[in-house]
Amino acid sequence: MILRILLAGALLASPAVMAEEAVTPEPPLEVNAARAELGKRLFYDYRLSGDTSLACASCHLPEKAFTDGLSLSAAYTGAAHFRNTPTLANVGYRDAWMHDGRLGTNLNDTAREMITETYLMNMDMRIMQERLKQDPVYVEMFEAAGMSEPSNGGARNALMDFMKTIQSRNAPYDAGTMSAAALRGQAIFEGKGRCSSCHAGARFTDDRPYNVGVPNTPDIWSDPERHSAFVTYAKFFGVPNYMNLREDLGAYIRTHRDETRRSFLTPTLRELKWTAPYMHNGLFETLEEVVDFYDAGGGDDPLKDPRLKPLGLVPSEKADLVAFLESLSGDSFDIDAYVWRKDDYDYALIEDWRDEQN
Amino acid sequence: MRKRITITAPAFALVLAGLTAGAALAEDNPRPEGLAALGPPPIPADNPMTPEKVALGEKLFFDPILSGNYGMPCSACHRPEAGWAVQAPISFGYPGTTHWRNSQTVVNSAYYGKLFWAGASGSLEHQARSAARGGVAGNGEDDMMEARLAFVPEYREAFKEVFGDDWPNIRHAYMAIAAYQRTLVQTDTPFDTYMRGDDDALTEPQKRGLALFAGKANCVACHSGPLLSDEAYYNTGVPPYSGWEEDPVAQITFRFELYAKGVTEKKYRSLKDDPGLYFRTKQDSDLGKFRVPSLRYTKYTFPYMHNGMIETLRDVVVFYNEGGGENEFAENKSPLIKPLDLTDAEIDDLVAFLESLSGEEILPEEPELPSMEPLPLAQN
Repeated sequence: MILRILLAGALLASPAVMAEEAVTPEPPLEVNAARAELGKRLFYDYRLSGDTSLACASCHLPEKAFTDGLSLSAAYTGAAHFRNTPTLANVGYRDAWMHDGRLGTNLNDTAREMITETYLMNMDMRIMQERLKQDPVYVEMFEAAGMSEPSNGGARNALMDFMKTIQSRNAPYDAGTMSAAALRGQAIFEGKGRCSSCHAGARFTDDRPYNVGVPNTPDIWSDPERHSAFVTYAKFFGVPNYMNLREDLGAYIRTHRDETRRSFLTPTLRELKWTAPYMHNGLFETLEEVVDFYDAGGGDDPLKDPRLKPLGLVPSEKADLVAFLESLSGDSFDIDAYVWRKDDYDYALIEDWRDEQN
Repeated sequence: MRKRITITAPAFALVLAGLTAGAALAEDNPRPEGLAALGPPPIPADNPMTPEKVALGEKLFFDPILSGNYGMPCSACHRPEAGWAVQAPISFGYPGTTHWRNSQTVVNSAYYGKLFWAGASGSLEHQARSAARGGVAGNGEDDMMEARLAFVPEYREAFKEVFGDDWPNIRHAYMAIAAYQRTLVQTDTPFDTYMRGDDDALTEPQKRGLALFAGKANCVACHSGPLLSDEAYYNTGVPPYSGWEEDPVAQITFRFELYAKGVTEKKYRSLKDDPGLYFRTKQDSDLGKFRVPSLRYTKYTFPYMHNGMIETLRDVVVFYNEGGGENEFAENKSPLIKPLDLTDAEIDDLVAFLESLSGEEILPEEPELPSMEPLPLAQN
């Protein structure tokens, strides 16, 4: 409870305050607090999808570190997704977004992609803008955030600022409270396991794509709703022979270079405790399975990164490695600072409509 | 670009009832000028009719696969049992929205050169695409809808047979729907039979109504030709849609349309009524103008006008008898619209005549719809 109050205060105050109250991996990012608060309300608003069936939070649940617990994510009405929902913990620090890294600019663009993509939220943002203008709470919040009136560009900036506030907090790794097993695991992570050659830095990722040979999942190709969403995506990116593809080509869709087939961005290892199942297609249920996978030298793929070799870890080393991975998870994100609790989403009739300016 | 149109009667379909022009037009009962019976619809040369294409188009017309949420087929807002339209002032919108104009009947839409109330589409093919993709209509996206079609074995087969497609092409889906719509025509109304020479096809009140229509009331000035529309644009002073003052979701859609279709900032802030043709021309002189609708099949397509603001055919006649109405674009109101000085009996006769423009209700059995299946490997 104390933490909750402190965090709520931290959001409204300068970003630096937050770091003092909770231990975070990196210094907070600069955000406009009022804009971030607006972004928080938007994040939980179902009216950001075409048929008002999905909010950002439908697939990015705060109690799962902004993932959904599914192997393959849900999607818009009539569709289903072909990838695993990534965590939004520390998402503002990334160099690139999406498992294939196709967005490399900022979270404003990422929000736009999610909101407008036909198999995701399928929202015509011009309708979204007019919906926001019909909600007096938004009219007030946009003004408080220094924006004259609700707009789709402003909404995306607000979502960006909110997402920038989503930081890991009080992970044993950062707080200096790692167990002995976790400390042993860290040594393996950096040494024998060579995990840190890609899982580097404060977020334990280099944000670059690699082919590690994660097996293909049949669950895309056996489900027409998933597969047709995938076809839509592959076609849009100009992948040759997209109708006959039965594999997710990852970063290839933006490079169109053969050697990048089936390569996916290194995921962060932060908050794994909350974000099972793992990998871009959610094929592994547990961290033990993931460790076994890398211990075996990854999967079977002719384009697999040559650095992946059998590691020869003994069971106790694997257990230590899992303990280390668990020490990278912090507090729940299901706190007021990250959740819009009020059910105050409503449109108001503009009463003297004929005389009001639109 | 204008499509070249050739008029050919498709051999398989249109059996024109009462084509036997047996009785010569009675000398003492001449038919009014400017009106005619309805012949077969024009078929564009680049989309010829075949039974297979029409059958495919029929399925697609009723199949929600052509929408964003797999839930809004053409037939959602063009319901056969509701005059192939929606019997409410404004059409159903996409879930989470409302539409902003009255749904028009599909029956006899084959004859229009200008589809939508402000003529935004020049062909049924184009209209189908716009409706499937519109944010407050189908909200679909071509790539996604096309991908879905490929997962329906029956569609893979049909698109191959009809269009030679390796995989269903979404443009061909719109062509098939247009072909199907060209079979939804009605050319054998009492009016048509009368115009073809059968003096007994209209009742006496209807004949008097026809005389008023072409004479004193001068409806024929705009509602002319076999379609009873000159397809020109007029502002007749129809009042604005009342929902804009009552429904917040309608207020959202109204502003969205201003934003999406493009008006000046000043107009975006100040307009309170549908600017109609202005959206296309951006000329102030076109504010509030709409394309003259056909009067055929109107028995089933209540309420009336581009925003459904008039409930019955009699109300429509009364509206024009009073010289139309007034909206915020009054300076563009057509000078043709002025008080008609019709008596109650004459109004009754005109309504009786309007009813002769509708035949039997067209209520086909709706097709069984196929569904998406997992896609077998390497189809081609």
